[in-house]
Amino acid sequence: MAGETGDGNKHIETNSAMSPKYKLTYFDLRGLAEPLRFLLAYGDIEYEDSRFTFEQWPEMKKSMPFGKVPVLEVDGQALHQSMAMTRYFAKQLKLTGDDDWEAMLCDIMVDTMNDFRMQVTGYYYEPNEETKEKKKEVLFNETMPFYLERLDEEVKKNDGHFVKGKLTWADLAIVAMIDFMEDQLQTKFTDNYSNLKAIKEKVLDLPQIKAWVERRPKTNY
Amino acid sequence: MAPTYKLNYFDVRGRGEPIRFIFHQAGVSFEDNRISKEHWGTIKPTTPFGKLPFLEEDGKVIVQSLAIERYLARKFKLIGKDEWDALQCDAVQAFFEADAAKKEEKKAAVINDQAPFYLSRFDEQVKKNGGYLVNGQLTWADLHFVATLQVTCDMLGKDVVASHANLAAHREKILNLPNIKAWVAKRPTTPF
Repeated sequence: MAGETGDGNKHIETNSAMSPKYKLTYFDLRGLAEPLRFLLAYGDIEYEDSRFTFEQWPEMKKSMPFGKVPVLEVDGQALHQSMAMTRYFAKQLKLTGDDDWEAMLCDIMVDTMNDFRMQVTGYYYEPNEETKEKKKEVLFNETMPFYLERLDEEVKKNDGHFVKGKLTWADLAIVAMIDFMEDQLQTKFTDNYSNLKAIKEKVLDLPQIKAWVERRPKTNY
Repeated sequence: MAPTYKLNYFDVRGRGEPIRFIFHQAGVSFEDNRISKEHWGTIKPTTPFGKLPFLEEDGKVIVQSLAIERYLARKFKLIGKDEWDALQCDAVQAFFEADAAKKEEKKAAVINDQAPFYLSRFDEQVKKNGGYLVNGQLTWADLHFVATLQVTCDMLGKDVVASHANLAAHREKILNLPNIKAWVAKRPTTPF
């Protein structure tokens, strides 16, 4: 088995002949795979970025461990749950803060952003036109200001990052989500929140992230 | 000096119960503060993101139930033996929506489709992992799973676990852990 170091890092050995083979499977979207793609890009970790169409999904679903994607295969073993996987790589790349408390602060910010994301996705995929209009009102008038004000305040309090004035996976994952949510809503909603706008720009300017964003497939969200 | 803990949640099991299970299993004392609906209106604006539960550790407020569970699990050594195990614990969140179980029109879909879909896979996972969800050892994933499923079964009005042999045995094993058994016997009785 590749790279058994006995300290919990047995599956990550970049730049070595024993690197695990990674294959990420997801829709041809950014969505919930994008935080993980950002981490992999940041860490210069090679992987097969496999994308399927909506037509192919019903068949693909059957072979996924819990019928959902993203799924990451590591030397043939299938992992799932986007945030679990993203957190794992964050740990390998030392992007979880300096201790368990800071690691938790990262989790808190990412999960909070995820709560916000679910409200947006719930609106985006609402099939009933009338309900969708009502949801849009609540979303734009209440939910978005509520979250954006507080998230902006967190970045301000934390010297330009989401956690303790330093780059963590919370910054990468949240910016990845902001990036596709702004496309779902066709609104650059961070433009009016200076601290959020700044961290978004800071992350998108990181060389590995910038290069990834330039070469990744263009998708609706 | 050991920290003091205060858990703040509604007077139900819901998303607070996995946290309570973790404290009890670890034998760590905490104040189990239950907030009434009337009182919640006053408290809500003082919380970071207007939601429960939140945990206070020596007065520092932390939110997001899963973040809290993971943090405590790590502290109390209920997170497996390495990062790979920790990842497997995190992956046990693939659940049917507990909230969907509350809505009458969604109950049938949960009972007939989602529950069998997820539970048959978890049943297989427990079988493969020596009677636990992760790598043959007790972790917070087991505590979270059993606490949350009890809530879901109560919402659905049906014991959806009973027909899955490995999960039924797993549930019994977890509920028979001495500290968990003692807690369940004395905890307030709530609808979910």
